[in-house]
Amino acid sequence: MTKPDLGVTIGSMAMKNPVMIASGIFGYGDEFAGLADYGELGALVLKTITREPRQGNPPAHRTVETPAGMVNAIGLENVGLDAFLRDKLPAALAHGTNVVASIAGDTPEGFAECARSLDGTDVAAIEINISCPNVKKGGMAFGVDAEASAEVTAAVRAATKKPIIPKLTPNVTDIASVAQACERAGADAISLTNTFSAMVIDVEGRRPLLAAGTGGLSGPAIRPAAVYRVHQVAQAVEVPVVGMGGIWNANDALEFIIAGASAVAVGTALYADPAAGNRIVAGIREYLQRHGIRQVSDLVGSIQL
Amino acid sequence: MSEPHTSPPPGTQAPSGSGPLRLQAEVLESERVAANHRRLLLRAPQIVTTAQPGQFLHIWCHPPEEIDRPPSAALLRRPYSISRLRPPDGVEILLRVRGNGGRLLAAKAAGESLDIIGPLGHGFRISPGLSLAVIVAGGIGLAPVSFLVERLGGLGVRVILLAGAETDEKIPFRVERPQAGGATLPEMEALGAEVTFVSESVEGVRITEVVQARLDELPGEGAAMFAVGPRAMLKRLAEIARGGLPLQVSLEERMACGLGACRSCVVPARSADGASYKTVCRDGPVFDASEIDWERLTP
Repeated sequence: MTKPDLGVTIGSMAMKNPVMIASGIFGYGDEFAGLADYGELGALVLKTITREPRQGNPPAHRTVETPAGMVNAIGLENVGLDAFLRDKLPAALAHGTNVVASIAGDTPEGFAECARSLDGTDVAAIEINISCPNVKKGGMAFGVDAEASAEVTAAVRAATKKPIIPKLTPNVTDIASVAQACERAGADAISLTNTFSAMVIDVEGRRPLLAAGTGGLSGPAIRPAAVYRVHQVAQAVEVPVVGMGGIWNANDALEFIIAGASAVAVGTALYADPAAGNRIVAGIREYLQRHGIRQVSDLVGSIQL
Repeated sequence: MSEPHTSPPPGTQAPSGSGPLRLQAEVLESERVAANHRRLLLRAPQIVTTAQPGQFLHIWCHPPEEIDRPPSAALLRRPYSISRLRPPDGVEILLRVRGNGGRLLAAKAAGESLDIIGPLGHGFRISPGLSLAVIVAGGIGLAPVSFLVERLGGLGVRVILLAGAETDEKIPFRVERPQAGGATLPEMEALGAEVTFVSESVEGVRITEVVQARLDELPGEGAAMFAVGPRAMLKRLAEIARGGLPLQVSLEERMACGLGACRSCVVPARSADGASYKTVCRDGPVFDASEIDWERLTP
């Protein structure tokens, strides 16, 4: 049998395989350099940027490990748009694969300004972080509401020709309706899920372990919940879905793909295994060969109910 | 080849080696060294040739071949200071048999392998004019000290080690109390350090009190202090040393990536706007005391 075709397309972004690195994990792409061949992956989503630099949440602690997961409250610490374009983006592009910028803002116009500045760059797509649960002003306020999510998506749509991918929060009652609102507002794809709102308590001190009080749970602990939401959204929208949430190995990635994701993103697993994405690409290829499936796109949404 | 993340001041040793490596290191020895503490000797020749004192290894605590399977406990790697080099190919770490990661590593037997990334972070900077090093270590803060003592000794620097802990059981070394002269750590003496050890439970003093009492006997020039231990101890030392002795401190914080990407392990840094953070994993773990905003550093 000929080698299976792993290529997928998200809007106008052609990817050599469906495996991406999730935003926030990888910094701006330089910190992990040398620990794996990141150019082998379909796309690298960089840490969310805002127009102005942000200091993020106070430390001690920003991250706490939990059973099969971790809760983080970094607070969108980032270098800001100008430093990103000047200092960070060139190194990220040097990996030799699609680079996706992730943007956030306090207002729809704040998102749009980031998108406008990215329009003339070589980023392959723009992820809209409407779902980061850690920043009191901004993120959460948009992502929990379908109308506000659509408003941000529309503002970004008007600011760029790049493919735009709103990233949804799972902390809503009806995630499919948020996805549909984003699709109507011009999204080229929908990515989900971001982290699940969470809290960890120091019982001796009777205080939250995270300085911010609450954070977002990621890792294998959330995977089945994320798979379900991806399935719900994939049935509700026409545009491609990028699935993520606790993917650790190829089997996990295949669950998302079969549930309806055209592409997947690896996050927390990278902290244990910097080559997790590469390992997953190899595993998906092996699965397709073993099942005689010619292209990964044939597998997307192939769940039998 | 040295390729530090930031340029060291002229005339100092490069604090970091070349970029981090990921490798499988065989456990050559595992030995109980004190109550609740173990020493692991790993075979990692690439680390031996590049590591600097104060740098750390980020260790996957499960079998390397199981990296494809998510564990429910110790999902993240654990940072361990490089405790000592055993050329040509040995690297030692000291660990507390505590927590998910520590217990897993404590159970490793000779012949098993560990998936490690390192050497990571910036270590201690040793300026060429240094003639006397005062190392202050508290509790498990003693873990990286052997490496530093050996490196300083090799450069002909006189080393005074002032170490303390709540109890003898809180350190990864054997304590001896000869009839006269207080407590000592024989292994550190064997490395050439002049050692004073105090346990709060036996001697009834804190190590910072010992440091304060002995500051006057130090020469004004050519001396520097290196400190590893609890934040309260480091904070007190920063006050004691202010304006006098140059002080470098090694800090700890919960990490995820260990590479500077995730921004989990930040500490408040001194800056004009009073609001900047540095990462323990990449900017540190060793900082010049003047880099840290001690007022904002949480205990």
